[in-house]
Amino acid sequence: MTSKNSFWDSCKENHKRRIWVWIVAVLSQLLVYGGMTTIYLSRIKGFYEDGTYRNVTQYKQAMYQAARDALGFSDNLYPIIFLLAALIAMQGFSYLYDRRKVDLYHSVPVSKNRRFAVVYVNGLIIYVTATLMGLALGTVIAISQGAVTPDVMAEMGLAFLWNLAFFLFFYHLMMLAVMLTGNRFVTICVFLVFAFYEICVTMLLDSLKRTFFETYSSYFIGYEEKLSPFYDYTANIWQLKNAENAAQAARMAMPLAAKWFGIALVVLAFAWFAYKKRASEAAGKAIAYRFLEPVMKVAVTIPAAFVIGQLVYDTSYQNELLLVLGMLIGGLIVCAIMEVVYDFDIRSLFKHLFSSAVALIGILAIFCSFKWDLFGYDSYIPAQNKVESIAIYPNGYYDNYWDENGKYIDNAEYQKETMFLTDTEPVLALAEKAEETDPETEITDAVEILYRLKSGRQKARVIRVNYDDPETEALLDRIFRTDAFQKGMFQGMTDETSYDQVTRITYSNGAAKTVVPKEEAKGLRDAWIGDMKQFGFSLVRHNRPCGVIFMEYGSSMGYIQRQYYVYDSFTNTIDYLKKQEAYYPVELPAAEVDSITVTCYHNEFLQDPEAAFRDDPGYALDREARAMPVNTMSEDVYVDYTTQETFYEEEQIAQILQHVDPNYIDAPWTNYGNDTDDRNNYSLEVVFKKDSSYPYERGSYYFTYSFRNGEVPEFVKEATAYTGEEEEDLSPAGVG
Amino acid sequence: MIEIHNLTKYFDDIKAVDEVSVTIREKTVFGLIGTNGAGKSTVLRMLTGVLKPDGGTVAVDNMPVYDNVEAKKKLFFIADEPYFFANANAGTMERYYSGIFEAFNREEFYRYLEKFNLDRNRKISTFSKGMKKQLALLLGICAHTKYILCDETFDGLDPVMRQGIKSIFAKEMEERGLTPVIASHNLRELEDICDHVGLLHKGGVLLSKDLEDMKCNIQKVQCVFCSVEDELKALNGLEVLKKEQRGSLCTITVRSTREEVEARFATVDTIFYEVLPLSLEEIFISETEVVGYDIKKLILG
Repeated sequence: MTSKNSFWDSCKENHKRRIWVWIVAVLSQLLVYGGMTTIYLSRIKGFYEDGTYRNVTQYKQAMYQAARDALGFSDNLYPIIFLLAALIAMQGFSYLYDRRKVDLYHSVPVSKNRRFAVVYVNGLIIYVTATLMGLALGTVIAISQGAVTPDVMAEMGLAFLWNLAFFLFFYHLMMLAVMLTGNRFVTICVFLVFAFYEICVTMLLDSLKRTFFETYSSYFIGYEEKLSPFYDYTANIWQLKNAENAAQAARMAMPLAAKWFGIALVVLAFAWFAYKKRASEAAGKAIAYRFLEPVMKVAVTIPAAFVIGQLVYDTSYQNELLLVLGMLIGGLIVCAIMEVVYDFDIRSLFKHLFSSAVALIGILAIFCSFKWDLFGYDSYIPAQNKVESIAIYPNGYYDNYWDENGKYIDNAEYQKETMFLTDTEPVLALAEKAEETDPETEITDAVEILYRLKSGRQKARVIRVNYDDPETEALLDRIFRTDAFQKGMFQGMTDETSYDQVTRITYSNGAAKTVVPKEEAKGLRDAWIGDMKQFGFSLVRHNRPCGVIFMEYGSSMGYIQRQYYVYDSFTNTIDYLKKQEAYYPVELPAAEVDSITVTCYHNEFLQDPEAAFRDDPGYALDREARAMPVNTMSEDVYVDYTTQETFYEEEQIAQILQHVDPNYIDAPWTNYGNDTDDRNNYSLEVVFKKDSSYPYERGSYYFTYSFRNGEVPEFVKEATAYTGEEEEDLSPAGVG
Repeated sequence: MIEIHNLTKYFDDIKAVDEVSVTIREKTVFGLIGTNGAGKSTVLRMLTGVLKPDGGTVAVDNMPVYDNVEAKKKLFFIADEPYFFANANAGTMERYYSGIFEAFNREEFYRYLEKFNLDRNRKISTFSKGMKKQLALLLGICAHTKYILCDETFDGLDPVMRQGIKSIFAKEMEERGLTPVIASHNLRELEDICDHVGLLHKGGVLLSKDLEDMKCNIQKVQCVFCSVEDELKALNGLEVLKKEQRGSLCTITVRSTREEVEARFATVDTIFYEVLPLSLEEIFISETEVVGYDIKKLILG
């Protein structure tokens, strides 16, 4: 038997004051779940009627998926959860804003704890009941359409818990905002500041570091938020939606949901504490706790001033003086606005100048620390004895990585997880060497470094080094030769994939494409790993691969293709390929080639646009009418300097083929040079004879090649020289 | 008994209540008088546990009141602007309070509603200000708490209603020992209700006395003396609080009992003398003028 004043009686009485919130919550959840289920299922039915699905099984699978999308993990729910949590929390404790209500509620014989618990539990009941009603409606609709399976139900339950975790966080956060304020408008502002503060500050710091620090990089350590529910929800919802089954979804969702349940509990503790300590006379005030006013003022003003300064900076062509002025004036304006809001009085604009001064000094101090790198960010190189291990990514190579389920892994993420260089000395020496490098006068490449310190902290930097500097090359060579680097850089070195999942192996020399029996996967890979012992930076810097092995994987993993680069010195691999009659040298046999079309872009004229006209008699007379380079996009005068010549003579073809590399094969870490280098100034299209027995890839009409620098034969240069006359149409069609 | 000792409250930098000490005895009507901003509402709100004092103590029957359910069970607070739920009628409010106060007498409440011609089904938002105050008082009376604290509740009530409430108070005081505490800025509103009065000014208590004591110990005498000697003889040894003379007619306020004054005036030659009853207002004027305040400015405007 319950007394007249039992907890549940109080809850019942409290619900009477919250009827409109009940209506909003229930209607929104019924509309969202019921509406989404109806729309998603009708769409699939429509597709089925249009014949999109081949059979009933496929249609049913689509219906189950649609039910999962509607009732399970959905990115559509996030705004609803956010708004409902805020609304329910604010309405529940809104009596704290009104002195008359406070006089009533705080004078009756109900303890503060009881009142808090009643309002809190009722809010939870409203959300949970409304959501369950929505889910029930959605389930009934889905059952009527035959779109419910145990897996759909299980995922629905998981998604409910997942959403509940985020609801609780925002619910508690809004409660905390209410406890700290005494006015609806200010509560909403404080709630939004709480909800988005970390995102804003993180983005701001990222922007400042990007602007002022040369060694800042987000490659290994991005600016992902640690305590942002928005990030955790939106970044993971897609994976959760596409989980293979409820068990996999549970494995992914529950740790994160537990994290947010935990954080929500901490916020609840703060909200409860603030409620207990909140004075009744705070009703109607902007901030309930006087001591928080300057704290909030400074905490909001500093990032807001930087945002204003950044806007001024970006719109003033990066003028640093205007950045500083923008920050200071913006900071003053924000301080003034906050004082006006605190007192609801325009005359309070310049009140509490001390806290305004603290905010402005803070802004200047932060700016100076970035501008003049007061904390030595750019010069940071950890002491060798403090470094546990290092991951490094020298620019110049790109590959795709997949996990064991066939899902794509971000490059940096893969390298971070797999590369543990314990021989840290060459990397630290490289970082020191980078300090001597002048990017203004030297051609440099970026090297991403992740220092894992013995203290457990991780620090990421990007340095710029000159790959062609002998000392740098030697250091990189030491790094490249380590097993740790190779395993972290090439997934083929640590491939855990079962060999029986290999569906196809091919080898390409840039034109020929041969098939290796898939049973040879292990043997071929072992041979390649054996050859990788001679792999180093010097090898890749000065040599291009002579071919590449493609191993393809299929079945449940999805489609994966791994590349294994083969160099001339990889004799084990080459011998293995030869045994399988799959190896073809990179040099093409001239007898098999029908023609080679060489295109010269004459990029030298882009460097000196007037070079082509200096000898022109009209050069000095009509500067206005002078032709402009191709890349100036002039609407009036357009000159295409490109010249083209096709060679059919076998002798010429043979000469050309001795000096070219295939474009089809990437050449990691090689020097691609600049536009005027022969490699970039010329391109070649190699066409095989129609009756050729050479195993070139039949789907292609021609194969593109490039000259090695300094190896363009004289007859090619002469044939493709720019004469200023209109070029004859030398394409095969034109000749033919 | 409610004991207030050195009660102090600040609102930001403003000292709203300054070391107030008052004792409110049971079964008496305590009037708390003061100008707007004198601290009456603040004292009452601390007394009912709405506000937490910054200094001093409030004890209701020896129990601290702030966030103390047991102490609050003995109190019913009617604020200067009582809050009623949105769209509520008298029945809604009764159900709320009867859920909170276990001794709430529903039958009595509806009987009083009829007596005061308040429609139980009419929305309270359509009630006049006076009707709302009546309803709040009836709810408070029917909650059957030991103490009922009214903040400016009687201001604006018509005399008939005030008399009605007064008689209910009297009945409840007699039957169950109700102790009303009534705050008002208007002395005249409290004159016929209060047994004991506390005067608040600028957050502090100027005086706190039983009304009867005050009435019995201050007398106003109008007289015409035969000679100056008679006047000196009559007033010798009496504490004269105030003396006004218009022609030969003297109006003298003295601190003394009626009997003593009459005995003294009987011994001297007077053409005419009469001991007149003092209004509460006059008593306050006299008492506060003694301590250097111009009460007309404080209370009467």
